[in-house]
Amino acid sequence: MRIEKIKIYNYKCFDGWFTAHLNNGVNILVGDNEAGKSTILEAANLALTGILQGRYLKNELSQYLFNHNVACNYIGAVKKGENPHLPEICIEIYFDTDKLPLFEGNRNSEKVKACGIFYKIEFDSTYQSEYERLISVPEELTTIPIEYYKITWKSFARDSLTARSIPVKSVMIDSSSNRYQSGSDIYISRIIRDDLEDSEKVKLSQAYRKMKDSFSQDESIKAINKKIDEKAKISEKTLKVCVDLSTQNSWESVLMTYLDNIPFHQIGKGEQCVIKTNLALGHKKSKEANLILLEEPENHLSHTKLNELIKNITDGCLDKQIIISTHSSYVSNKLGLENLLLLHDQNISRLSDLKKDTFDFFKKLPGYQTLRLILCKKAVLVEGDSDELIFQRAYMDSNDGRLPIEGGVDVISVKLTFERFLEIAENIKKPVAVITDNDGDYDTKIIKKYKAYEESDCIIIFADKRNELNTLEPQFVDANKEDPKKLCDVIGVSCEDYTTPDVLSKYMESNKTKWALKVFESKDAVKYPEYIKKAASWCNE
Amino acid sequence: MLLNIQNTLKRQLLGAMNNNTLIIASAGSGKTSHLVEGALRKSTESVLITTYTEANEREIRNKIVSKKGYVPSNITIQTWFSFLLQHGVRPYQSVLNDELHDVDIGFLLSNSRSGKKYDSEGNPISIGGRPIYWGEKDFFRYYFTKGKDIYSDKVSKFVCKVDQELKGELISRVSRIYKNIYIDEVQDLAGFDLDIIKSLFKSKSSVMLVGDPRQVTYLTHHTTKYGKYSEGNIKSFVENELGKRIKCEVDETTLSVSHRNNQIICDYSSRLYSNLPKSTACKCGACRVMDDHMGVFIVKPSMVGKYLETYRPIQLRWDNRITVNSNYPAMNFGESKGTTSNRVLIYPTRPMANWIKDNNAVLSSEGRAKLYVALTRARLSATIVLDYEEGDMFEGKRINNYIIA
Repeated sequence: MRIEKIKIYNYKCFDGWFTAHLNNGVNILVGDNEAGKSTILEAANLALTGILQGRYLKNELSQYLFNHNVACNYIGAVKKGENPHLPEICIEIYFDTDKLPLFEGNRNSEKVKACGIFYKIEFDSTYQSEYERLISVPEELTTIPIEYYKITWKSFARDSLTARSIPVKSVMIDSSSNRYQSGSDIYISRIIRDDLEDSEKVKLSQAYRKMKDSFSQDESIKAINKKIDEKAKISEKTLKVCVDLSTQNSWESVLMTYLDNIPFHQIGKGEQCVIKTNLALGHKKSKEANLILLEEPENHLSHTKLNELIKNITDGCLDKQIIISTHSSYVSNKLGLENLLLLHDQNISRLSDLKKDTFDFFKKLPGYQTLRLILCKKAVLVEGDSDELIFQRAYMDSNDGRLPIEGGVDVISVKLTFERFLEIAENIKKPVAVITDNDGDYDTKIIKKYKAYEESDCIIIFADKRNELNTLEPQFVDANKEDPKKLCDVIGVSCEDYTTPDVLSKYMESNKTKWALKVFESKDAVKYPEYIKKAASWCNE
Repeated sequence: MLLNIQNTLKRQLLGAMNNNTLIIASAGSGKTSHLVEGALRKSTESVLITTYTEANEREIRNKIVSKKGYVPSNITIQTWFSFLLQHGVRPYQSVLNDELHDVDIGFLLSNSRSGKKYDSEGNPISIGGRPIYWGEKDFFRYYFTKGKDIYSDKVSKFVCKVDQELKGELISRVSRIYKNIYIDEVQDLAGFDLDIIKSLFKSKSSVMLVGDPRQVTYLTHHTTKYGKYSEGNIKSFVENELGKRIKCEVDETTLSVSHRNNQIICDYSSRLYSNLPKSTACKCGACRVMDDHMGVFIVKPSMVGKYLETYRPIQLRWDNRITVNSNYPAMNFGESKGTTSNRVLIYPTRPMANWIKDNNAVLSSEGRAKLYVALTRARLSATIVLDYEEGDMFEGKRINNYIIA
């Protein structure tokens, strides 16, 4: 059994419905900061365990769980004297199986037969009259009246659920640490508990009870109790100290996990992360499926540890589903490009959605460049190394010497494969600029070649119309025609040797990288062709 | 030819899948024990045990707990209505009407036909003294109260309609959840309940029905649908309505002997249902107790106090409007179903009294069933409170020393 998809409605950064279809094994979630990677992990874990940030959400509802726009629209409408529908949050998890008929029904947003569960935060209509009184004075309503909300946690068959009855055990592994009062880590206790068979759980709680009993039977405790009782002669009743026997599952909150005699929460974050992941990967219960949610593992792992973790994941994920959020192109590349889920603007796309030959093309690439395109904020595609150097410098000159990458702009040299990259960019709506030569035929090489992207709202082509200036070098010479001596100085030739623009650009063409590097490293700024300057200012739009 | 072979194959397959039985049981034959033992034998497969009354559901639960110490996790026990609500109504409740998608559907027990029309002042509308009802076209008013509670007499119809709309998906879901479905006191089911049973027979689940056609003291609802089978005639439903492709074996022998009643009570109570096989008392040594007051008796109202003091029977009555001796315990006929007492004292209704005097007298099917239940509660003696004169004739026999059978 596996999770087919997760749908999220109005939760945190998701305004309206968001759907994420999941792969069988590894799912690598990439996307910008604030794109909602962590929110997806959080929502999946909440719907499967009822727990948010280590606590049962039931008693800790807050209006900040709601999407900001949704909340604002609601309050705005109330202020206008309208009677808007109270916002609600919903998370749906669809299971891909016919082995769980108990969870089958049509109580899902698609209103079709499906197997799964939903977790909903909604208005409790038993408070209807209180609510009506509240909105009769609209000025006083400044937030969603969360105190009138309830949580509905049910299967698609409309049966109420408990965390125990859900057949998928979710394990959240993130950098935060949520501990019981005693210090034992909630997640690690859960991971261990979820892996125990019922009979083992019974044995464990019996052993714990026995331990508590023997504590109170100990001679020294008896002596203490005698003393207490004598001192406190308040009534006929006896007063004594004892271990708390009241809670049923208290072993979970009291037992502590140790690694080499060191309490688990005292060991390094990286080590914690690796151990939790390995424990979760090791779950062997056949009746239940596992979902492992791993948040940015690169954050607290050394390169070697990260490598180790990734190896464990690829080896151990055969019968498990894993969602990893990451910013690391290394992690994504190691775990396989075909498993990438690219998150952008409340949408998920995958490389496998691309044309087959494009996908195959990228599969052959080391992957690093693809990911650069995916992970950057904006990308500038150039043909070769000299174009890359010149553009970087042009950008720096208009941005107080900062490199493009510092502004989230990645300059990628793609040789002659512009179209492949543009297909991805179009797919994931990534703002991309192309800087290219007109090769002496603007109509064919630019207008016709990039016709498909004419209407695109994320792709823009920068090239010069003048066919006589067919490549970067004549363009560059032309841009500096007012002061050819300065250009010659910068690129390290004598202007007496190269008297006409033609000879100068011939020289540059046969020393491509050399002159470009000189320009890049020069103390003095030169002038840049108009189309390159435009591209540089597009980066800051 | 090919088609024929295919059909034969299909039938064999279906035969192999359907392992359905109807067990006709008589009172005191150990119905519940049989059912519970069957369920406990299925230690690995999922089992649903369902029955109409809450009292019987409790009885089944208690029996399992007393045998096993707990209810094993593969066994689910719930009343018929709770089963219908959980697995029949809710999973696909909005298939018939989209407005139901987000509604929490509740349940209203309705003892008479539901969905009466009311006028603006809240009085029932009637024509010629007969009330008027909402029809199926007024979907919500037909099936539901204003608060979206589904009426108990319509719930099985609702379930059938949904299953039809889903081309059998609803029942398929149930059969994938429960490999074995046991229905106790099946004679209480009526109308569309029988259609559900039929669909369950057709499904992959093995279905076992247990019931006593003589004990129809309650019905899930009153309906004209399958009316001829509603009076305990489940056997002929199984024989006539299933068609060739659905199989259900009828077993009238396994539970035919009474471990409770002695032969005199068996014989006398069998007179109420002359068309059905007579019940016999078992010959187990452990069940048989000898006593000097055994059989069926009558006692004059004036002698009731003395009789109660001497024999300490439990008093059985139609309902609590009937005056009994408040110093001794009493129960309604319907309530007493499933219970066992050494002795009972029965306060008969007028038609019951007439029948006792003359077995050809008219007695409604409900009255008949309740008298049967009352008589068959007793292990030793069943005594009827009835005024008579010494020398009166009962069923052609002169009363002699209180003994009528």
